[in-house]
Amino acid sequence: MMQSLFIAVLIIIIAIIGNFFAISRVSSERNLLREKEGTGLILPSSVYKVIALEFKGIFSDIMFSRAMTYYGGKLIRNEKPTEKEWGWIYRNMDAATDLDHYFLDPYYFGAMTLAWDANKVKESNILLEKAFRYRDWDWTIPFYLGFNHFYFLQDNEKAAYYLMEGAKRPGGSGGLLPTLAARLSYQGKKTENAIIFLQEMLKKTDDKNVRWIYERRLAALKAILFLEGAAAAYQNRFKARPDNLDGLIAKGIISELPQDPYGGKFYMDKDGLIKTTSEMR
Amino acid sequence: MTAAWYVALITFKEGIKGRVIFGIFIIALLLFAATTVVTTLFMRDIVKVAVDLSLSTVSFAGLLTLFFIGVNLFSKDLDKRTIYMVISRPISRPEYLIGKFMGIVFLSLLVVVFLGILSSVPVIMSKRFYYYPEAKFDWGIYCVAVIYIFIKLAVISAVITFFASFTSNSFITFILSLVAYIIGQSTEGVRLLLASQVEKIEVSPVLSYVVDIAYYVFPNISAFDLKTQAAHGLSINYSYAFWTALYAIFYITIAIVIGALIFRRREFP
Repeated sequence: MMQSLFIAVLIIIIAIIGNFFAISRVSSERNLLREKEGTGLILPSSVYKVIALEFKGIFSDIMFSRAMTYYGGKLIRNEKPTEKEWGWIYRNMDAATDLDHYFLDPYYFGAMTLAWDANKVKESNILLEKAFRYRDWDWTIPFYLGFNHFYFLQDNEKAAYYLMEGAKRPGGSGGLLPTLAARLSYQGKKTENAIIFLQEMLKKTDDKNVRWIYERRLAALKAILFLEGAAAAYQNRFKARPDNLDGLIAKGIISELPQDPYGGKFYMDKDGLIKTTSEMR
Repeated sequence: MTAAWYVALITFKEGIKGRVIFGIFIIALLLFAATTVVTTLFMRDIVKVAVDLSLSTVSFAGLLTLFFIGVNLFSKDLDKRTIYMVISRPISRPEYLIGKFMGIVFLSLLVVVFLGILSSVPVIMSKRFYYYPEAKFDWGIYCVAVIYIFIKLAVISAVITFFASFTSNSFITFILSLVAYIIGQSTEGVRLLLASQVEKIEVSPVLSYVVDIAYYVFPNISAFDLKTQAAHGLSINYSYAFWTALYAIFYITIAIVIGALIFRRREFP
């Protein structure tokens, strides 16, 4: 009796020691395996939608966090994700936002890392465009889109479009977006758009300080539009561009130069664009 | 109908007496606790993740209750031969079946109410500590989503009642009900997939036909899933709420009446 108990205890002790030894080896082997495995397969999101049953939200959370963790692991090891891995991260974010169209984190994380770290502005914009469609109350999305177009793609016209859209959304009309949009519009030869936009914004603003910001910018843009019109009239009449704005007065098209509300002086640059020495700042 | 109420009450009492329901509550509580930890891994839309996990826990606990307690409450009478005592009483067989159905519906109501209230705790905590101004959330929509979890569970209860009316074994009822749940949850997605044909798969007309039939025969359970709406505070139309509730009532009626007809003619071993 005692002997069989002793043997049983001995077997248990040996097995526990063996188990400890084996599990530590298993974890290191698993780490090696995972590194080789890399990113893993992503199915089309329509398949995920079917297999996730009613737990699509959780599926989306998991897809987002596994890609974010993978990226985080790379950062900790001081490695840069390869092209293939960036593709995987992008597809994860795309699938996560297909499962939950309104989930901000994958849009935000995907758009920021893809544009800034991976130089994949196109993919970043595809994600943001999707967010723009679904999160139709969130002004930050068009703001990021506007930024991508302005900073990475140098497309002021598109950037101004998105900023204007952002300013129409709740919380987006608080000063920064409309002013920025108007500025980009002006550089993109869309002065009239900018004026209409600012007038629209003025209607919705009660705050005195914000109104002042808008009104000043509006006055400057109106002056620029006036000068643009005068330059166009000059071009029509004399079939040539005026050398400078004083030429408009000399030929009697305008009587005097309008005041820049920012304290600068209007001038015409070598491309014929009306600008001001204050740069509206 | 008083006889049916009586059966319902007995069924309900039997259900909460078992130890399984406490196991389910403990799992749910652990999941709620996990929610508060898991949400810290996310960036901005933290309330959304908390709502996802909380509502999924309520729904999951309800499904466990139906599949592991509800199914057994039906077969118990048959397995233990106590059905003879019941049917020898002045109670019709349809009344007995309806009573059983109501009993498990009460049971799922208890689970949804209790866990629905508890589920607000992780949401309140995440709202308090990580509120992101551009996130939308509305308690009204959250409550509607919880109510629709209950409606979904009532529909699944009716499906279980229907299968239990002719199967002689609880395992078969369980498997059939589970399959019906999975089909009911996915037919809408499969239909959309076939309709869009984005994956460029050749779809045979027979397959589309079969999916269409499945769509009308099995309950469209995905229609009761409003978790995304709750997570993002997206408003739900009154007409949507009305028609889905009406759909549930009609579906439950059909399943119970057919089940009662089958059960009336059934012979017990």
